[in-house]
Amino acid sequence: MNIIETNKLTKRFRRYKKQVGIAGSIKGLIKRDYEEITSVNELDLKIKEGEFVGLIGPNGAGKTTLVKMLTGIIAPTSGEISVFGYYPNDLKNGFKQQYAVVMGQKSQLFFDLTVEDTLRLFKEIYGIPEAEYETAKNFFIELFHVKELMNVQVRTMSLGERMKMELIVALLHNPKILFLDEPTIGLDSIASKQIRGFLKEINETRGTTIILTSHYMEDIKTLCRRSIVINHGSKIYDGDTDQLFERYQIHKKITLTFDIPMELPKLTPGIFVISETPYKKVLKVTKEKTSELLGQLMKYGPSDISVEEEEIGTIVERIYGEGRGSLEEVR
Amino acid sequence: MKKYVEIAKIYIKSQLVWRADVAFQVLFTVTKILFAYLLWGIIFKDRTEVAGFTFQSMLSYYIISSFLSQLDMSDGISSEVSQRIRNGTFSKYMVIPVNIQKYFMAMEAGVVAYYGVFQFIAAFVWVFIFRIKFALSHDPLIILCAFLLILLGLLFMLQLNYYLGLLALKYQEIGTFLMIKNNLVAFITGSIVPLVLLPQGIISVMKLFPFYYITYLPSMLLIGRMGEEAVPGLVIIFLWCVMLQALIIVTWGYYRRKFDGVGI
Repeated sequence: MNIIETNKLTKRFRRYKKQVGIAGSIKGLIKRDYEEITSVNELDLKIKEGEFVGLIGPNGAGKTTLVKMLTGIIAPTSGEISVFGYYPNDLKNGFKQQYAVVMGQKSQLFFDLTVEDTLRLFKEIYGIPEAEYETAKNFFIELFHVKELMNVQVRTMSLGERMKMELIVALLHNPKILFLDEPTIGLDSIASKQIRGFLKEINETRGTTIILTSHYMEDIKTLCRRSIVINHGSKIYDGDTDQLFERYQIHKKITLTFDIPMELPKLTPGIFVISETPYKKVLKVTKEKTSELLGQLMKYGPSDISVEEEEIGTIVERIYGEGRGSLEEVR
Repeated sequence: MKKYVEIAKIYIKSQLVWRADVAFQVLFTVTKILFAYLLWGIIFKDRTEVAGFTFQSMLSYYIISSFLSQLDMSDGISSEVSQRIRNGTFSKYMVIPVNIQKYFMAMEAGVVAYYGVFQFIAAFVWVFIFRIKFALSHDPLIILCAFLLILLGLLFMLQLNYYLGLLALKYQEIGTFLMIKNNLVAFITGSIVPLVLLPQGIISVMKLFPFYYITYLPSMLLIGRMGEEAVPGLVIIFLWCVMLQALIIVTWGYYRRKFDGVGI
């Protein structure tokens, strides 16, 4: 059953174009020029209950605007939108009871108080019975290992700890949909990994539908069975995440660190040097040649070695470069 | 209802974090009373009455009106609403199942309850220290009207500040609106000078505005004066509240759809 449906969903913004300098500022008092930006362009979308969907795209692609429309924060310019049968921007409490949204840079926590205080507030806001509240709270405390943080002032917490708390607050009322906008932004790899683990568990055990926007490849690859790639407000891929990366991820980045100055031999075709110092080499290699190259490089005794995926932006550019018409997976 | 009580409670808890803030608020109240005591002491040095006020009734008026004007802390609402609209974080209130205006009312109630206690204590202590013979009305009906006026006045100011905050949906920058409101309020509420000292023509015009009924009239009623204006005052401020509420509903309903939510 589809719980989210959009049809030709479009959002346009008007943006003031100010001319530079004092003269430009004065001119702006008399006459202003505006430009129209199409942030989301005739986007069709269907999402079923229990799905874990990744929204991918470069900055300004329209991901966050889409999430804002799905949560009712902003109204579409045109097109149809339905979430649980509601028109989100009507902001009905019955609708808001059913979802939660966590935006990496927007907080629901009261920074001067403890998380326990915020949780109690949200218990009342969502009308959660006491017994149910205690069970849910204890479940998340166990899951996130945050027992010792419950009575600590939020402002004293690290970014990673705060994000865990944001998630607990969001999940307390057991929403049917969880919208996550860059939940791992600014987090270190350990905290990001923990957050990913929690989200996976919530999706699998509670059946919560999760819509995730992220710039981090790892978030999308680990969590989302389905990915939707958006660029310039349009959907350019909608399908299986593994297939997406299989098809469009061509290169990997290998970073080698050495304790002593090292000179690498001449590289075979398909391997490129991104940067090089006597102690550090950064190479780009085609996916197929990665294991072969790693085998060769190990002979030089690097003190550290890391293999990274290509950035999402690069993949999006590649998909976009192929042209939308050639993509079978676009629904 | 329970959710709004919890919202009020969380704002009381938030206030309790800042000890210095409380101390300065009390100090401010005390300083104002001390200043008034010295000022009016000089004015009343050579006379026993000014515009029908004795020294004691003037101080009573000043203490009550000062207490009431400080009780209204809704100023923060307009800046909170407008700033959050401008930086895109107003969505914080839009995504939770609450009535946003009621959320702010509960927030205000929490803040007022907290500071009100301290300011009441400060005013009470100074009445004793200066041995002010507090001139208070003996008519229970008038006292009831005064309290109703105080409640409606607080509600009106909250509505006004919330409305001005919402104008950021249309105008982005609302500094000018706030400046006009602040100057108007300071003058018309009578928190600077008792309005009775002003020419009758000006007072008649002011009576059409709601601000006259926020601090000035309840203060006068509580010190046992102007009882005949109590009921008309209640009607007028009530009508203003209804009108402003209608304006809020229309403005929010229309401009909410224009909210871009841009920012961080």
